Amino acid sequence: MRSPLMRGAAALAGLTLLVTGCSSNAAPSASSPASDEKITLTVATFNEFGYDDLFAEYTKLHPNITITPKKAATSNEARENYFSKLAAGSGLSDIEAIEVDWLPDVMQTSDKLMDLTGDDVKGRWLDWKAGAATTADGKLVGFGTDIGPEGVCYRSDLFKKAGLPTDRAEVAKLLGTTWADYFNVGKQFVAKSNGVAWFDSADAIMQGQINQLPNAFSSSDTEEVLIPMDQNQPVKDMYTSILKASVDDKLSAHLQQWQPDWTSAFQKGKFATMLCPGWMLGVIEGNAKGVEGWDIANTFPGGGGNWGGSYLTVPAQGAHQQAARDLAAWLTAPDQQIKAFKAKGTFPSQVEALNSPDLLGVTNKFFNNAPTGQILADRAKAVTVNPFKGPQYFAVRQVLSDAMNRVDVTKKQTAEVSWAQAVKEFGALS
Amino acid sequence: MSWRQRFSRWDVKTAPYLYIAPFFLLFALVGLFPLLYTGWVALNKWSLITGNQGFIGLANFQYVLAQPRFWDAVTNTFSIFLLSSVPQIFLALGIAAVLNANLRAKTFWRMGVLVPYVVAPVAVSLVFGQLFADESGVFNAVLTSVGLDPIGWHSDRFWSHIAIATMVNFRWTGYNTLIFLAAMQAIPRDVTEAAVVDGANRWQTFFNVTVPMLRPTIIFVVITSTIGGLQIFDEPRLFDNFSLGGPDREWMTVTMYLYELGWNSQRNLGRSAAVAWLLFVIIVVFALINYVITRRIADSDHRPNRKALVK
Amino acid sequence: MTSVATAHQLAGRGAGRAAARRRQRMEGGTRRPGWVTYTLLAVVVLISVTPLYYAFLLSTSTAGDIARNPVPSPIPQEHFFENVARVLNSGIGFWTALGNSVIVSVATAVSVVFFSTLAGYSFAKLRFRGRNWMLAFVIGTMAVPTQLGVIPLIIVMSNLGWTGKLIAVIVPAMVTAFGVFWMTQYLSEALPYELIEAARVDGCSMIRTFWHVALPAARPAAAMLALFTFVGSWTNFFWPFIVLGSSNPTLPVALQLLQSSHFKDMSLIMAGVVLATLPLLALFAFAGRHLVSGIMQGAVKG
Repeated sequence: MRSPLMRGAAALAGLTLLVTGCSSNAAPSASSPASDEKITLTVATFNEFGYDDLFAEYTKLHPNITITPKKAATSNEARENYFSKLAAGSGLSDIEAIEVDWLPDVMQTSDKLMDLTGDDVKGRWLDWKAGAATTADGKLVGFGTDIGPEGVCYRSDLFKKAGLPTDRAEVAKLLGTTWADYFNVGKQFVAKSNGVAWFDSADAIMQGQINQLPNAFSSSDTEEVLIPMDQNQPVKDMYTSILKASVDDKLSAHLQQWQPDWTSAFQKGKFATMLCPGWMLGVIEGNAKGVEGWDIANTFPGGGGNWGGSYLTVPAQGAHQQAARDLAAWLTAPDQQIKAFKAKGTFPSQVEALNSPDLLGVTNKFFNNAPTGQILADRAKAVTVNPFKGPQYFAVRQVLSDAMNRVDVTKKQTAEVSWAQAVKEFGALS
Repeated sequence: MSWRQRFSRWDVKTAPYLYIAPFFLLFALVGLFPLLYTGWVALNKWSLITGNQGFIGLANFQYVLAQPRFWDAVTNTFSIFLLSSVPQIFLALGIAAVLNANLRAKTFWRMGVLVPYVVAPVAVSLVFGQLFADESGVFNAVLTSVGLDPIGWHSDRFWSHIAIATMVNFRWTGYNTLIFLAAMQAIPRDVTEAAVVDGANRWQTFFNVTVPMLRPTIIFVVITSTIGGLQIFDEPRLFDNFSLGGPDREWMTVTMYLYELGWNSQRNLGRSAAVAWLLFVIIVVFALINYVITRRIADSDHRPNRKALVK
Repeated sequence: MTSVATAHQLAGRGAGRAAARRRQRMEGGTRRPGWVTYTLLAVVVLISVTPLYYAFLLSTSTAGDIARNPVPSPIPQEHFFENVARVLNSGIGFWTALGNSVIVSVATAVSVVFFSTLAGYSFAKLRFRGRNWMLAFVIGTMAVPTQLGVIPLIIVMSNLGWTGKLIAVIVPAMVTAFGVFWMTQYLSEALPYELIEAARVDGCSMIRTFWHVALPAARPAAAMLALFTFVGSWTNFFWPFIVLGSSNPTLPVALQLLQSSHFKDMSLIMAGVVLATLPLLALFAFAGRHLVSGIMQGAVKG
């Protein structure tokens, strides 16, 4: 699926890293079982995991192991590949990277994956990160790699013109704590902004809000019991309030993320804020090249939020599962993840890595020299909810997303009509 | 009977089968199993993720036929197909006729029209994305600059079909042009010259002599365009970055629908396979209709008697 | 020249003389078209070439310039070689991919042309029981939607042990229904029975008749089919991606890796597009010339 919510992320590709000198010491892994058998491990990733140098390092530590990397450009292609081969029952790599958005599907097939539980990895990740990959009966299906903790990116120049504060600490205070606060500041902004919208897309706001519900679409959090769309009051309320803010209060720029109009809107300055997972910084910098005034506030409405992130899994099809697990465990250890972060900006999900000076010292020149390392680490720790996502989660999410876009982007339907259609489409899912 | 005669008789009998055998052998290897597999999947409750959940007969077909989305997809597919294939075939025929003339720099012109076919989809979608963007697009900029209303390329069903048909025509017209051109090159000049001597002008010669002689090629192009057009997948998927066909599935085609059912929203291979089979039936029926019509039209009078010309 | 000589040899002097006469007439014959024709063609070619030129323009630019100005000025900038160097040094295995693509495209083009012509000749010109329904079957296989075939095909390939090998991409494409149908249609009109009969009367075996009569007559269509197949294999992404993966890639599989960051650097991606297209344009320039003259010579008709 190519929707933006499916694009969650591995790479903070554009995050400029000003790392001077490499101080972290590479402690050799102690956990590998003694074996001199010559084996080749294939490792399938997508986007940029930042593993190229780590593979070389690992094979130096373990001369009997050869690593063949397989890469897909985007998670969409990786996903098609993964599920086609899972369905065919053969052809998967020894280690397969998966994205958090397909995790609900992967969890259903936990019997086709190795259980990765072990004392060596206990407590390594943020609770919500490891929790999402743990089945009801306690099986760990994937080792966490990176995450996408969210802050609020904003245009300080546009804020200034509209008479709002520009300093990132003041902005964080201004934006308050709830979504209502965020919308209220938006109303003040658009009153003086001369046509500039408050945020880019209504569905992007929905993405931020829905991830804060522990049970958005299912009434149970151990197995999926779908709540009928027409009875799902919390989601209906979100839908109504976001669309009211977008359309009636004119806060939305009525764009769909990743479309050409959205991309060009960065140059034309059509909106002033954006919900901002770490990997989005590079996207903004790339699209807004030459635009000055972007900054990031250490806050997120309604509590913390995460968008995207990945895991490493070990399919049970593989011939060298134990060796594959060793490699995956080593790659996702804090020291290695910090190296991957320094290479490609993949923001770590490991508790220890979040306190690393290498991470905390990172600033981003494009975002007015904001201490993005510190901000994102804080944002990661602010996440408290681990939303339950069952097998049909993304199907329902897509129905909702389409409904939002019919009102916000194509403007072909009113909120009521579009909701009624969504209820029907939800009915067709079963 | 001599050995030679015996060989000759055996040769005549078996050679036709031997010559077509490679296709059928290869089909048995890489085509037949997938076909039967798809048929079997369609009769089962079959999840992409968890595999076969048991035989359910025709329930997948019943489900699909009851979905308004399926019928939307069929309508969209035919709409895009008609908007693209029909003008495309006439354009291709016309351009081929021009290219068939005694031009300077033949290679340049001939290969020039084939360039769209070789350009990577990522470049094509980028260009058309810039042309058809609703707010920042080139076409809407032109429209508004002359005082017209911008067109909702991604919100209006009909206009999204026009835009996609434009992409399809861009990509495939040159391809069909060269197919026609190859066939035109095989028409002996004697035939057209004879018509000219008889006092026919260029248009009459083209319609009364050239077109009827292209009959097998026209049938070929019509049938392959029908099959390709009804399976259309790449261009509508490239029309935005989400590949689903728009928030109201304004430009979702049947193949996109089967893809969405199988790989995206439901991960339901059974239903997806049912759509594949329904599409197969639609294509066969429609290709047959087209075949009959084309045969009629291309077969109508004026067909020169080739035998007579040969002798 | 070959076709005239062959026609001489096989069909007797009459046919050879007729072919020679026709050639003469064609070369000296019809009058050249006027400027209206050239203007129309120029418009068509201009539209055809625009996206490729656009890709080239972006490949001479930088990501920042493209973000600022998505519709660039029509004059190329100076960053082309720098972007090409970035593609070549990006560790995507460009040269391996290029080699693989050449192997796959050449192998499929040769094989498709040979087997399709063989089958097309049989369907178009030979009489045998079941001919019509077999041809209908061939055409019918084209109507099967391919999107679902991937999963069973993975099963087939892994049972054969071909996963990750070029043969897994070549074999499924060795003869296509499209090619068979095209050759059937073309030969049914372009190859007169008289030539075949003459060859048979001269005592040629079936395969010799095919070789000396059908193949030369099929040349323009075969050249076209070869070109289409070559280009089709060259640009095919999905199946090679699934079955080969990035460790033994073809060009499209390798080049897609240039899109792997969240922000798409179009100057880099388009440099890849241009690099992948250049060999095809070279092929056009080279084979296109042959194609045209081939078309002329191939017109063995009586």
